[in-house]
Amino acid sequence: MMKAKRQVEKTVQEPQDALEQWLTEQTSHLQPGETVELLCDFPDADVRAHNWSQSRHFKLLSAERQGDQWRLRLQRVKSQRAPLRLVGRREALRRMAQTLFAGLALTLLARKPSDAQQPVEESIKLPELPPPQPNEDVLIRMMRDLQRALQKPMHERRWVMVIDLRKCVGCHACTIACIAENKLPPGVVYRPVIEEEIGEYPHVTRRFLPRPCLHCDNPPCVPVCPVHATWKRPDGIVVIDYEACIGCRYCITACPYAARSFDFGEHYSDGTPHLAEYDTAPSPGYGRFWERKGNRSPVGNARKCHFCLHRIEKGLLPQCVTSCIGRATFFGDANDPQSLVAELIAKPNIMRLKEDLGTEPRVYYLV
Amino acid sequence: MAYSIALGSSHRGRTLYYGVLVVLSLIGLIAIGVRMVEGMRVTALSSPMAWGMWVAFYIYFIGLSAGSFLLSTLIYVFGMHQYEKVGRMALLSALFALVAGMIFVWIDLGHPWRFWKVFTRWNYTSVLAWEVLAYLFYIATLAIELWALMRCDLADLAQRTSGWRQRVYQLLTFGFRCPTSESEYRRCHTQSLRLVRVLGIIGIPVAIMVHGGTGSIFAVVLAKPYWYTGLFPIIFLVSALASGAALMTFLYAFFGRKDEEHFAITRGMANLMVLFISLDLLLLASEFLVGLYGKIPEHMKVYHAILFGPFPYTFWIGQLLVGAIIPILLATLPRTRNSVFWLGLGGLSAVIGIVAVRLNLVIPAYVVPMLEGLEHTINQPRWAYHYFPSFWEWASSVGAIALVVLIFSLVFQFLPMFHEFPERFEKAEGGVSHD
Repeated sequence: MMKAKRQVEKTVQEPQDALEQWLTEQTSHLQPGETVELLCDFPDADVRAHNWSQSRHFKLLSAERQGDQWRLRLQRVKSQRAPLRLVGRREALRRMAQTLFAGLALTLLARKPSDAQQPVEESIKLPELPPPQPNEDVLIRMMRDLQRALQKPMHERRWVMVIDLRKCVGCHACTIACIAENKLPPGVVYRPVIEEEIGEYPHVTRRFLPRPCLHCDNPPCVPVCPVHATWKRPDGIVVIDYEACIGCRYCITACPYAARSFDFGEHYSDGTPHLAEYDTAPSPGYGRFWERKGNRSPVGNARKCHFCLHRIEKGLLPQCVTSCIGRATFFGDANDPQSLVAELIAKPNIMRLKEDLGTEPRVYYLV
Repeated sequence: MAYSIALGSSHRGRTLYYGVLVVLSLIGLIAIGVRMVEGMRVTALSSPMAWGMWVAFYIYFIGLSAGSFLLSTLIYVFGMHQYEKVGRMALLSALFALVAGMIFVWIDLGHPWRFWKVFTRWNYTSVLAWEVLAYLFYIATLAIELWALMRCDLADLAQRTSGWRQRVYQLLTFGFRCPTSESEYRRCHTQSLRLVRVLGIIGIPVAIMVHGGTGSIFAVVLAKPYWYTGLFPIIFLVSALASGAALMTFLYAFFGRKDEEHFAITRGMANLMVLFISLDLLLLASEFLVGLYGKIPEHMKVYHAILFGPFPYTFWIGQLLVGAIIPILLATLPRTRNSVFWLGLGGLSAVIGIVAVRLNLVIPAYVVPMLEGLEHTINQPRWAYHYFPSFWEWASSVGAIALVVLIFSLVFQFLPMFHEFPERFEKAEGGVSHD
């Protein structure tokens, strides 16, 4: 058992794979079966160490959060190598074919693109919350749930959203807040609210259905992408790699909920003397800010709701949850039995959209 | 020149033909340039109406290509040698139609300059990714087949011409030498046909994958019940055969070899066209009747939109009248079926009408909102459930087609489109025997 500690020097611009390089350095001397304990302060060290270990002979035994730091325990896996032995021609050919086939199958199966996350410049300082109280605001409770979930490695989280249709008054605050948060251009809307009128005047009632991306467990949009530019993260969020997307719009076509839209490169203030600030402000997403200029990404790409990934990473709730005036939208980790959403999705009056398609959405509706 | 074909009856007609094509091509190149600089905002598409006229033309040309190719296999694989004179024409059209299809799918990309990522980041679960591979394989098959068929004639031409023409012919032979003796020539010719036969056999599944697969791009989309049927890829294939036969009827009627076989071959092609159009109509009727009988909104509404929707003339006039009724009547009525001119016109009519078929295969699927009421949520043009191609879409489409037709016409004129036994052997032998 060995220990090593690492501090980020905040002034120096680090290469993108600094953590991975450092991990390789720190583990190079390990014998098979040996473990090492490492302390580092990359905010997403758990996920990246996990990804790093996947492609090597290492296993991430645990990743615990200690204040601003991650305590990682890595083990070099015992490799089993049989002594060299000569085999017959037939046997050799059979093995070669086997290896070839297995290799082919493996490369196809194991091609999990890296989560296009770049290191956040500063280490995350999660917002401080008041001590738990009875009857506290659900937003505070959900933030506490969120912080608890962030302590776990990414693949152990399971983000879900619950929308209480009985509480939704159709104010469209979430739609607007989402557009403002993500700096969305015309034609790109992550969370429209569908209005339905029931009955005939004067006996009329209305129903509202907010529709974010449902982050399906069997997303129909993911397999159709010809360039692997969209995938489901271990924590369940369906993301897009803007730099890889060729803009063929097959995923937009394939989504049964119309949850994907296309960035045509337009601005709300087109045709006025100056482009407004809200049009030129960079759009956050997938670990960076995206300047919408000319035909550069995300212009020409498919775009979608990502549960405000940039906010979640910082310990904040998605903007649609925060902005909901009726506290009708809930967000959290369904794998955590203590979380509010885990309680809500266990209720009998829960439903999901178009369940018959087998998409297994992760957005639930309370009706 | 022995191989040149008169395009148009007079020199003036030809100048006019090329003049118009050059002007349209230039307009098209400008439009494509504008689209590259301005991005997708030049289109009339919206987020929900994700695919439009460019995609319709993409599948149209892929279909034309696969149809023409499959027709050529009737000759080279299935031994219908009476249509031999259509063979090269069919393969050459298949090649150019595929190139046209590639142009359309390319200009439809939001990031056209990233097209190469399909190869570096190839995703095996995507039908579209498989299709790109199939297209490449298919282009190679077509090119080799054409070369194998033409190499003797090309080498011969390279000897008989001079200047730039000679250099081009020489280049196209890829080092193939002209056979000097008659026996050698015959051996070489038989060898070519054998190679073409093998390539044709390989090409049949490839062509089915090319167009049946293109249909599958749509058929696998469970979000669009209109597409999500097992019949959909088959409809693609059958209408591909229809469009291929129609194109061959048109091309052979007007630009084929005007000899004693001219009428018989044109008539044969027209009959095939009628057969495939009828099959296509049968499948269409089956889809429509089954779809309309049920009351599944997403299914029924699409048929409703096609029949009585915003653009009913696309169906009634384009698809039905121009694409099916006129060609069938022209090829069957006693007054017209014996005239090469009317048969050719029928072919042209079907070639044009099938554009409407393709438009109706793609666009109506989008008019039904994925969730009821979604169309009223956001009041923006880029969120609209309504689509009519923009000026730039029209200009680039017409221009791209003109460009491909222009190059096709030039190549058609300068390549040996019909097999001919070299004269120098003919004198010694006295007669020409077909393979």
